[in-house]
Amino acid sequence: MDFNDPMLALSSWIGQIGDFGLGLLWRFIHIVVTLCHIVSGIFEAVESYAISLGLIQKYSSTDIEKLKCLAVVVDIEAARDVSKVVELLEWLTTIGVKQVGLFDSQGLLKKSKDMILEMVPRSVLLQETGEKDTSGIALEFISSSDNKEAVVKAANILFQKYLKSRHPGKDEEGENVFTESHLNEALRVVGESVHVPDLLLVYGPVRSHLGFPAWRLRYTEIVHMGSLKYMRYGSLLKAIHKFTGVRQNYGKGLMVITESRDSNRNF
Amino acid sequence: MLSLLCCFMSLLSFLIHSCLRPWTQAKKSLKDEKEIDEGTYVAGEEETPKGLLREQMPRHVAVIMDGNRRWAERAGLLTSQGHEAGAKRLIEFAELCFKLGIETVSAFAFSTENWGRHKIEVNCLMSLFQRYLKSKIQFFQSEEIRVSVIGNLEKIPESLLGTIKETEEATKRYKKKHLILAIDYSGRFDILHACKSVVKKSQQGLIREEDVDQTLFERELLTKCTEFPSPDLLIRTSGEQRISNFLLWQLAYTELFFSPVLWPDFDKDRVIEALVSYQRRERRFGCRI
Repeated sequence: MDFNDPMLALSSWIGQIGDFGLGLLWRFIHIVVTLCHIVSGIFEAVESYAISLGLIQKYSSTDIEKLKCLAVVVDIEAARDVSKVVELLEWLTTIGVKQVGLFDSQGLLKKSKDMILEMVPRSVLLQETGEKDTSGIALEFISSSDNKEAVVKAANILFQKYLKSRHPGKDEEGENVFTESHLNEALRVVGESVHVPDLLLVYGPVRSHLGFPAWRLRYTEIVHMGSLKYMRYGSLLKAIHKFTGVRQNYGKGLMVITESRDSNRNF
Repeated sequence: MLSLLCCFMSLLSFLIHSCLRPWTQAKKSLKDEKEIDEGTYVAGEEETPKGLLREQMPRHVAVIMDGNRRWAERAGLLTSQGHEAGAKRLIEFAELCFKLGIETVSAFAFSTENWGRHKIEVNCLMSLFQRYLKSKIQFFQSEEIRVSVIGNLEKIPESLLGTIKETEEATKRYKKKHLILAIDYSGRFDILHACKSVVKKSQQGLIREEDVDQTLFERELLTKCTEFPSPDLLIRTSGEQRISNFLLWQLAYTELFFSPVLWPDFDKDRVIEALVSYQRRERRFGCRI
């Protein structure tokens, strides 16, 4: 018993020193990790700047023809700053993107539609161009009401069509009303576009598409770009360039691994 | 210099502390040990790893298990062996999720588009699903995991359909852990199927046209088997950044985590990485907080 008390005191004292040392070690590791993040951020910023100046050769020759339709999801906080959205659209016009869908869940960009169309040179509404090629950029404004609500309305249209087409004793015939192409058509009737974006860029703190129309997202590449406030031209060009290097199999067929920079896809 | 000195001191104190531990532990009474044991450990739960908060765990995690074939090629194995490794990884993944308190796990096992793959590979996959489900029924029962299979299921072999029904029947009474396997699943088909379901119910007089809204529509989707149809977190492996027609309606506000790791290599550390990333995010569900 007597022997144990001094041992306890010694153990406690050593424990306290140990705790202090460990705390210092933790802070030291924290500093190292933070520095790594800072260095990585600086590197990305420098790379982005170099891409903007055209110093990195491979990004100067991006095959923009592969990108037929681009969609941009903007966080509602960012959507309040229309100037940043306009700047982004100007960059996309410079890169050569022809069709852009702008989405925010609350429809703030829809409300600023006229202002955006006025401020972005050679921009038109997608509905006005139809499928015609334009020299500028065709814009589409989308919000959450174009997602699930639109599908429900389209479902109701199909339902009414089914009721009209149904014959007594031939229930299966009506089922031909429920195909993907019929739903596409019903969505058009409701006023929704069915243009499927090839690439979706998400600007915001969260890596989620925030309710972008689900029906259209089947094989869309999704890239999280970070905050719109700190967006960089180089990062945008890099994301588009990376997309153009992708080959999709759409879930079918065997892939062949090549030694090119193309990445091979299964789905 | 100071930090290095403190590192050395802490290491030294740790070693001395370890040596002195038998002396200090002799002071603890049996009563104290009993108090520590009671109520602090629940059998079957995984201790929450550092960096994760149990109360912020997602309720529903979905996974697109991509990369089995590439993994097999890199390892010099057959594609079928890659899919076997993928199936094994899924069971481990689901087990870990349930132990961490996640209630529902959905896995995209086979998409409608995958029917376009080589016949041999498709047959191999169907055979794998059947073999695995059959062999794991006892495991699901012992772990009290409910298994549901969602998808079109019209083209799958009769034998597999039988095994699916058997597995679902054997596990339907379990509530706390739910494993949903999407086989022959397409997000667009799911939405269309819901449309047809709404029509049928309307014909039967169960619903009126004006009752059809988002909530009702959602209840007709194939994910109606779960209380939480919308995943909180979607993980896709192998570096691809698409949702590929998986749970299109349900993924509106789901956190997307794209990992470069191939699915058979997606081990516990990777799962924790995904969960840590999820817990750090600021989810607003489209609203301003």
